[in-house]
Amino acid sequence: MKIRADFHIHSCLSPCASLEMSPAAIVQQAKAVGLNAIALSDHNCGFNLPAFGKICEQQGMNCLFGMEVTSVEEAHILCLFDQLDKAMELGEKVYDSLPDIPNNPEKFGDQPIIDENEEILGFAEKFLISASGYDVSSLVTEVHALGGLIIPAHIDRMVYGIIAQLGFLPDEEFDAVELTAHGDPALALNYPIVRNSDSHYLNTLGSTHTDLELDAFAVENIRSNLWKK
Amino acid sequence: MKISELASLEPFSCVQGEYEDGEITSGYTSDLLSDVMGNAEEGSVLITIQAHKNTVAVSSLAGVAAIVICNDRPVPEDMLAASAEEGIAVFQTSENQFNTSALIAQHIGGCPAA
Repeated sequence: MKIRADFHIHSCLSPCASLEMSPAAIVQQAKAVGLNAIALSDHNCGFNLPAFGKICEQQGMNCLFGMEVTSVEEAHILCLFDQLDKAMELGEKVYDSLPDIPNNPEKFGDQPIIDENEEILGFAEKFLISASGYDVSSLVTEVHALGGLIIPAHIDRMVYGIIAQLGFLPDEEFDAVELTAHGDPALALNYPIVRNSDSHYLNTLGSTHTDLELDAFAVENIRSNLWKK
Repeated sequence: MKISELASLEPFSCVQGEYEDGEITSGYTSDLLSDVMGNAEEGSVLITIQAHKNTVAVSSLAGVAAIVICNDRPVPEDMLAASAEEGIAVFQTSENQFNTSALIAQHIGGCPAA
């Protein structure tokens, strides 16, 4: 099957994202712009993944359950799973490893946890933009043990991109690296490249995407297709 | 001051001692490693809270002779192994980066910017 994917999308849970970013609105917009696979990837937790999973199932949208982890190095790293429980397990570990700094909604925005009907279930208490306790190497190990894909996010960006944080792209078992729309492919060295929108607002969804040819929509098939390119 | 003399500062401890002793003539304080790579001087001491093996990789490229990890951040095993291999001394202190920088500056002839 031909897949047009956007694997980097924030919901309203991310304080920097618009409150319009409910799972239902994201899936509706994804369909409208011609995507047939998406991933939810909030900062350092997976609290909105259950609602996202339900909506995607109802709407027949291929989905990955993700999060964008801030490593100790303050590099942003996408972690993507095809199993909700594995993503939730990583989400819990990563959230637990965040420092006990509460969010200040007036300064940074709200962090609402919502259900599939857009009812607010509560708020993530810790400030989600803090760095987690995972360094890049230990995150690679953890994500692969849980059966997920690990992809340094927007490596061409000067803020929170892994090259800007470290000075180089480390030799790790990354499944791919992510570039922004016009990022230089030379930065990716020998890693496969994905491009995603990193949407915080509905109107940017799918503005950048990754095309894949898959036999089945699963992590293993995505990994092998990425390395075949 | 010599690298080995860092261990005698309070409250410093040497956590990786496989290095060739030498003179430290400058320091660089930063938690952004791409900045360290571009700006730290050869033979300097790096003052940071970035306690992981990539700090060693960057230090090695920049010619940093010693790393001081502040705020008592734990130093993982793979960082110790990498720094032993590269011969870069690693110290740990409970002080923050500002106080550590001020303290070390006094021992290497005061603040060059003064």
